[in-house]
Amino acid sequence: MPDIILDVRSLKKRYDNLIAVNDISFQVFKQEIFGILGPNGAGKTTTLEMIETLRPIDSGDVFLNGLEVKKNPQKVKISIGVQLQSSSFFDKLSLQELLSLFGELYGRKVDANKLLQEVELQEKKDARISQLSGGQKQRFSIAAALVNDPVVLFLDEPTTGLDPQARRHLWDVIRKIRSEGKTIVLTTHYMEEAEELCDRVAIMDYGKIIALAEPKTLIEELLKSGFTKERVERLATLEDVFLQLTGHSLREEQ
Amino acid sequence: MRLKWLLTVAGLKMFFREKEAVFWTLFLPLFMVVLFGFVKFDQFGTIQLGLTDLSHGKNEELMTALRQIKTFRIHDGTEESERKALEKGERDLVLVIPESLQPGQPLPLYWNEAKPQEGKVGELIVQQIFDDIALQSLPGVKRIQVKLQGVKSRKLTYMDFLLPGIMAMSIMQMGIFSVAFVFVDLKKRGVLRRLKVTPMKPVDFIFAHVITRLVVLLLQATVLIGTGLLFFNLNFTGNPWNLFVVGVLGAIVFLAMGFSIAGVSKSEDQVAPLANVIVLPMMLLSGIFFSRANLPGFAHWITGWFPLTFLADAIRSIAIDGASLKDVIWQILGLGLWGFASVFAAIKLFRWE
Repeated sequence: MPDIILDVRSLKKRYDNLIAVNDISFQVFKQEIFGILGPNGAGKTTTLEMIETLRPIDSGDVFLNGLEVKKNPQKVKISIGVQLQSSSFFDKLSLQELLSLFGELYGRKVDANKLLQEVELQEKKDARISQLSGGQKQRFSIAAALVNDPVVLFLDEPTTGLDPQARRHLWDVIRKIRSEGKTIVLTTHYMEEAEELCDRVAIMDYGKIIALAEPKTLIEELLKSGFTKERVERLATLEDVFLQLTGHSLREEQ
Repeated sequence: MRLKWLLTVAGLKMFFREKEAVFWTLFLPLFMVVLFGFVKFDQFGTIQLGLTDLSHGKNEELMTALRQIKTFRIHDGTEESERKALEKGERDLVLVIPESLQPGQPLPLYWNEAKPQEGKVGELIVQQIFDDIALQSLPGVKRIQVKLQGVKSRKLTYMDFLLPGIMAMSIMQMGIFSVAFVFVDLKKRGVLRRLKVTPMKPVDFIFAHVITRLVVLLLQATVLIGTGLLFFNLNFTGNPWNLFVVGVLGAIVFLAMGFSIAGVSKSEDQVAPLANVIVLPMMLLSGIFFSRANLPGFAHWITGWFPLTFLADAIRSIAIDGASLKDVIWQILGLGLWGFASVFAAIKLFRWE
């Protein structure tokens, strides 16, 4: 049994008459990329925000690296890195200055250059947030989430709105961070992203987890149940065509 | 403490990188001072006297005497054109000298009924000139002549009234507008949310923002007072420390109001009207540009409780009259009361999300 780094037990959240998260439990292992999948409004973000201490937990328990989130929000904040959906940074500071400042929020002196290198933005160190492309912004957000050398990195829909190249580039960055020993929990509504990137996925709908396993296992189970696609499986998709024509490598807007 | 300091430095950096904001913050108050300084609202205006001489130079003595009066600005013209100008409000008085002056026959002096002060003073001067001429032809008459004796006094100018008022107004503007707009923007763009997942204490962040603005205000006050002293003969006799104390107190009141507005607003579109509802009445009625002394009774009473009135009066007393903190204790108490109320409101209303 691998080390459990995040343990979620019977987590619930209710807004007025909407049950956003309805009694979910799951565990995340050390150094895995764990995906929470689901359509919009399934409760993915609410789940993450409760774990991240941003939202009060109605009932249930969350343990992060052995810390109970409800009782130790401050300690939990110190040990996690968070990329929020559609959040931004001060615009009048350079990327380098932002990372240094964020490091200081954790009482750390960070090597901003190294962090920027980690997400392949080293040549943008003097740029402002507003001068970055969508993919660059997301990569910078990840760098900012790494300033405190977190145990677990939470990414909320990191690739939403990115073009295929930028998305693949971000996947490479996420894989590299995992290979350096971090655990990553991400949400997405792109199935091919979950399939390519995640070791295990939990599929959420209407606030419940309706499946949790390795993507491969989930697909095999579906096929075993006698499922066949109505259309013949194609050996390439339009996205493959697009990438073949425009090139796999990332083109950054300058 | 280190983090507070670092956040303050970052705040100042961000402020000074916004070039337009720096320009307007430092020079808009100055611009207003210069503008209103030139208009000189305090001066008793010169009297616009329309003059029509139908006597063809027979009354030279009279004309010379009239032209020597500095209070008059004389416009020569025909009777018709001058009376038209009077009706349009371009003249205060019109004097028509007939072909021949007959003692004992009243000489009409037309006056603009909308300007009774100018009319009365003008009438007295004209009458005096005629009396002088009449008296000179009677050498036997002894009369008592008053003689003006100049006494050196502290000459307070409109600038001495205006500049401290503008200082107070700038503190209000900075407190309310800058905090409300910046925090609503940070809230809207999710920056505050992002900060919330870090272990940073919110109070450190607020502290840094308050200090940043105090530093900018200090700079603004220096520019204002410096310009006043250099170019406008500002009668600055104040104790800078007293000024600082009152200024900081005022800044706290208005910064807290800014945070309250940011708390209840979801976007900049909501900030603007709300901030203006608070700012505009004070700007116009707190005795910034014009003395409150002319306000009617009830308005005078109610505007006396405005926080900007307390602040402007205190700054003016300290800067120009050299008042001590004890002398402005009423204003300090007033600001303190407002401070409590607005800080309480800010704590209740301000939200990070």
